[in-house]
Amino acid sequence: MSSHRKNIFLGLGIAILLALVPLLTKRNDIINIMVLIFLYICLAQSWNILAGYTGQVSLGHAAFFGLGAITTRILWVGGYPFLMAFTTGGLVAVVFALIVGHPALRLRGIYFAIGTLGLAQILKITVGNILPTVADLPGDYIATYNLIPRYYLFLILAVIMVVVVYLVGHSKLGLGMVAVREDEEAAEASGVNPFRQKMISLAISSFFAGLAGGAFAFYQVSYYHDLPFSPTWTFDALLITFVGGVGTIVGPIIGAFFYAIFREFFARAFPELHVFIFGTLFILVVLLLPGGLVEAVSRIRRLIRAKKTDTGFS
Amino acid sequence: MRKISIIAVSGIFLIMGLSSLGLAASTKEAPKTIKVGSSCSLTGPFGSGGAMCKAGYDIAIDDINKKGGVFVKEFNKKIPLELFLLDDESNMTLTVSRMETLYSTNDVVAYLGGFSSPIHAAQAPIAEKNKVPFLMVGTYLYSVHQKGYKYNFSPFPKSPDCAKAVFELLDSIAAGQKPKKAAIFMEKAPVGMELGDMWKSESVKHGYGEPLYRDQPREMKDFSPLIMAAKAEGAEILLTGPTTPEGITMTKQIKELDYNPKFYFAYRAPDPIAWGQALGKDGDYVVLGPGWNSGLKFPGVKELNESHMKKFNRPADVMTGPAYACIQVLAHAIEKAGTLDRAKIRDAIASTNMMTVIGPLTFRPDGTGVVVYFCVQWQKGKQEVIFPKQYATAPFIFPMPKWSER
Repeated sequence: MSSHRKNIFLGLGIAILLALVPLLTKRNDIINIMVLIFLYICLAQSWNILAGYTGQVSLGHAAFFGLGAITTRILWVGGYPFLMAFTTGGLVAVVFALIVGHPALRLRGIYFAIGTLGLAQILKITVGNILPTVADLPGDYIATYNLIPRYYLFLILAVIMVVVVYLVGHSKLGLGMVAVREDEEAAEASGVNPFRQKMISLAISSFFAGLAGGAFAFYQVSYYHDLPFSPTWTFDALLITFVGGVGTIVGPIIGAFFYAIFREFFARAFPELHVFIFGTLFILVVLLLPGGLVEAVSRIRRLIRAKKTDTGFS
Repeated sequence: MRKISIIAVSGIFLIMGLSSLGLAASTKEAPKTIKVGSSCSLTGPFGSGGAMCKAGYDIAIDDINKKGGVFVKEFNKKIPLELFLLDDESNMTLTVSRMETLYSTNDVVAYLGGFSSPIHAAQAPIAEKNKVPFLMVGTYLYSVHQKGYKYNFSPFPKSPDCAKAVFELLDSIAAGQKPKKAAIFMEKAPVGMELGDMWKSESVKHGYGEPLYRDQPREMKDFSPLIMAAKAEGAEILLTGPTTPEGITMTKQIKELDYNPKFYFAYRAPDPIAWGQALGKDGDYVVLGPGWNSGLKFPGVKELNESHMKKFNRPADVMTGPAYACIQVLAHAIEKAGTLDRAKIRDAIASTNMMTVIGPLTFRPDGTGVVVYFCVQWQKGKQEVIFPKQYATAPFIFPMPKWSER
């Protein structure tokens, strides 16, 4: 069996297992943590395609997430079908990304990062001033609120996102993105149009971040309209990707599991010290495993292989 | 091999997480403890307020458990209270997750609140959805009680209480000395907007005329346009609601621009001791409505202060009293209900009529507490209760001395 097929079967198997979770438990806390994990996978994977694959470290990812959330929430609560509102949220994020991407992607390195951070902050403050009210769901929406459809929405979105990143990563387009990340001038000399690659990458990234925001608007019962624009969403995506393994497909997935589960575990076990403990663990991971947790997996694999060789097994 | 390792690593995380969640008890025998839960901010911007609430819960539960716990008729015995407190990191999304954890994993019979309106706004619908009685603490937010929720209660003043009390305090000033014209600077946030609107109508109702109203944009650093407008209008009453860092900056700028209102009320900003520490004498004479004060003479306050003094070497903080009162209300409701059935506890809370460390307490049908609204004034670096007069620990100092005369 080719490795491509193996990967597809493996991914499919995991997705089916995850789809069974709501059938095995009715506990909302477990479903909730899983929802957060899928949300983090979506956020991190969408950030990863721009930063990890194309090398454009954006600190304004929350802007796309927020635009998706605000559009979806307003349209959905306004009476439009959810799927329409949800898709529109993703598209609004893309349109915004393309408008700002045109000038912003001409900036490089730290200038691009700071520029995008500033942009997201401007949006956050503007939304906070224009829509200062609580975005809570109407009473009839709360009365019929059910976590299970939210779970499946996030699961499907996470699966689609992983598949898209996988396909892009294994395509000519993905190779072009990696070439731009490694050396923009060399890529250009090889016939790759760096600006075009960056714009496509930004469009994919912002579309999925917008959809993740839309799913968040469907999930979260009550929040302030400017909450999804908060820089926390950007830094969550960044931390998850780095701790999992930047520029890899499985890195953001492992990172999301690590981030959500350890954070929850420490918050319960050490309510007053958990931030310190979790922060220390994060620093240790970054220091000891610069390639992220994916590197740990590779190291374990190498260790097992070496032991097998030592003991004469092949 | 690589894929198997990845699955193994993911599996370890998943198992760790799921096993840490434990199993919910489903026995019908008398439980060892009565579980109550709080998703409270211990870190992040609301962390200091949350810590005050936690102190109140801990002391109150200690006090009750020392006497054996709460008598539950259904089991014909006293059962101790057990608090499950999870830090939500001042995060509206995490707090929802924590509330679900407390419900599903810890099987709590009631939720307790924390500090800040945004967090309570996110929590309230979850309590309603799970049908778990919820006692909210540090929030003025009134609108959350106007959504028809049945499980949300708050033994803490709300925006209408503040709006009314401030103008009653102004009305208590002798006729010839009453200040003229109000200026209102309010943040564009749910509490800011609702309280701002109420102050506007109270100003007209009490004969102070149409006030000068200015929105205070979020994350504002330079308040001079607002201050200069109030000064130009000759506003002698300043009503505002910044956060503590904003309030400190605003007060410094008021002094620098030599704006001398005769009455300066700020909700929220001057509540913590950081106000006095940062502003020194410049923080004096500002009036606030923190919801409670350790100088009050209600039954239990003295003992609460003593316990707090032992733990933290100071009398109880402003949020500690209302948090302590939440446990008093809950324990009383459980005894009254005689069961740990959440719906019956909810009904018992709704019919509360008791004396607490925050004074006499009942609840309106919308879940807001009928509580005494205390106006407090910073005087010589200390918070003193000045209104209502029967609870005053010091006389109301009016007018506020001019900056040049201090």
